[in-house]
Amino acid sequence: MQNLMDSKTLAYINMFAVLGTLENLCELVPEASELLQGKKPISIGFEVKGGPSATIYFKNGKCRMEQGCFNCDVKLPFSSCEKFNGLIDGTVTPIPSKGFTHIGFLLKTFTPLTDLLSKYMRATEEDLKDPVFFERSTMLMLYTIGVAISQIGNNDQVGKFSAQSIADGSIYLGIKDGPGVEIVCKDNRLLTVKKVPEKYRSSMIFESIEVARDLFDGKVNALDCIGMGRIEMHGLVSMLDNVNRILDRVALYLA
Amino acid sequence: MSKFPTFDTSKSREMFERATKVIPSGIYGHLGPAEGQWIPVSKWPSFSEKAQGSYFWDVDGNKYIDYMCAYGPNVLGYNDPDVDAAALKQLQLGNCTTAPGKIMVECAETLVNTVACADWAFFCKNGSDTTTLATMAARAHTHKKKIIFMKYYYHGDFPWAQKIDYPGITPEDVANNIIVPWWDLDAIQKAYDDNDGDIAGLIAQPYDHGNFKDNEPATKEYWQSVRKWCDDHGVVLIIDDVRAGFRLDLAGSDHYYGFKADLICFCKALANGYNMSALCGGEHMKSTVSGITYTGSYWMSAVPFAACIACINKMKALDTPKMFRELGTLVTDGFKKAGAEHGFDLVVSGEPALFYLRIANDDSLLLHQEWVAECVNRGLFITSHHNHFINASLTREDINLSVEIAEDAFKAVKKNHPELR
Repeated sequence: MQNLMDSKTLAYINMFAVLGTLENLCELVPEASELLQGKKPISIGFEVKGGPSATIYFKNGKCRMEQGCFNCDVKLPFSSCEKFNGLIDGTVTPIPSKGFTHIGFLLKTFTPLTDLLSKYMRATEEDLKDPVFFERSTMLMLYTIGVAISQIGNNDQVGKFSAQSIADGSIYLGIKDGPGVEIVCKDNRLLTVKKVPEKYRSSMIFESIEVARDLFDGKVNALDCIGMGRIEMHGLVSMLDNVNRILDRVALYLA
Repeated sequence: MSKFPTFDTSKSREMFERATKVIPSGIYGHLGPAEGQWIPVSKWPSFSEKAQGSYFWDVDGNKYIDYMCAYGPNVLGYNDPDVDAAALKQLQLGNCTTAPGKIMVECAETLVNTVACADWAFFCKNGSDTTTLATMAARAHTHKKKIIFMKYYYHGDFPWAQKIDYPGITPEDVANNIIVPWWDLDAIQKAYDDNDGDIAGLIAQPYDHGNFKDNEPATKEYWQSVRKWCDDHGVVLIIDDVRAGFRLDLAGSDHYYGFKADLICFCKALANGYNMSALCGGEHMKSTVSGITYTGSYWMSAVPFAACIACINKMKALDTPKMFRELGTLVTDGFKKAGAEHGFDLVVSGEPALFYLRIANDDSLLLHQEWVAECVNRGLFITSHHNHFINASLTREDINLSVEIAEDAFKAVKKNHPELR
């Protein structure tokens, strides 16, 4: 059914869009990088049967995610996409198949880090009153949503239909004079790069971080914003039309 | 110093803001900022104050020479005196009445006497009404389920004609749609075979006039081969002539391309802006359509029928298809020449009466959108994503003015792009 999420797509989103945003959390939020300070470099691999696999490398207060789960220090296997999705929504406790000696990192560092991510991704109205928190939270949402677009375009049945109509090239999705993401389309497969592209075939730029936030929170509609000039589209807008249809499904998956 | 100063559109913006408070998205659909590609919105007029001939005036008092013609309906010129007089005369006699006005019969007779494949006419209001009826008729006629569409199709916004990823559309709405590429008879055959022959109809515009892409006119050979395939396989051939109808050929765009559709859908150019549409078809489809439950509150209103008769008679008298081909060629030749003088490669495609434009210096439409915005903001209303429309009130002087504005806009864009020098 179109209106239902499929667990495999959700697993890809949870892996690359949600856990993948830990990279940006460590860059943007000092509290996150402080959690990693003084810790030995370590890598955690996630392997989902019938779904995605990736490894997060933690080093010097930062982290980066790579696809695949080969030479990790700690390996967390999941027997299904549903089980992995349970990790993200807090209903499943993972058991490492490798790296039991690093269980302390999982409990004392990784879990607080993901809790911090949740705090920024599911921000309360009170937290958002702090302009610094507001800015960081919105930027993190931009990265998460940007990556989720590609995962939905590559995995979700309806999302794949939208991606089939996207011409090859780069789409720039970002905040005016601020952060952005590049969505690269090649042969109807999407890849999100979390930086502002130098060249692109189409762009969708939010007038301000507040506009981006309102759109992400579902408080305003993109078409309304375009009409009011709060979102500007340029270039091969047919690419954006299809990205916007995928964006509609991002809200469903990330709700 | 620009010969054509750019317009102030502040009242348009104020009116648009006012609209957004009481109308979803301010102006929805193809006339609005998102679908209409107002890039940037600050350079576009939102609402008009009045219109006449080939021109409209926005709420700031800016005057635009209009190559979109309300996206098609303006075929003779805004406020055409003959059409308006016929409509007014009928209005005084009666419009939306319990027993339909007798002029409905006269209107159907006019269409039957004008459109080559028409033995009857069924009246509705919008293009979507007719494409929907056509697909229902194909199914009722064949007792089969699926419909073949051509890639880049647009047959209105009713759920069956949308796509699975559009808001509000369920997979079930579009489950019987099969999309094939243009110009590929093998793909049509494959679709038929893959679906065990459960194909009720094939619906297509007379040529590929999709948006955001160069338009590709058809050939007579192509359509004759599709016609034969439909005959051989018992598939109803539906031509959606809502956009191109009466602009290529008053006998229908199927006639223009040398074949006969089973069903043909008309709307835009039918009554010079009066609200009506018509499905026409051959005798062999009449009984089927008679049996379909399909009606609407205003579908038999008499005023548009009067306008339609006057409009068709005037189009015949003026031979508007010939006029549109000539005027379309003249204006696009002028645009191309003006572009070339400033280093722009302006590609013109499609039929001259419905020409499509694209600056090909880059592969992103960024330069093209910039040029279109400069044209619009100087009073030449064109679009960056859609084919254009010619109307019969357009004069050579209007075309000269259009080319002058286009040239001025090219100059302005070039100034912003030193890399083009």
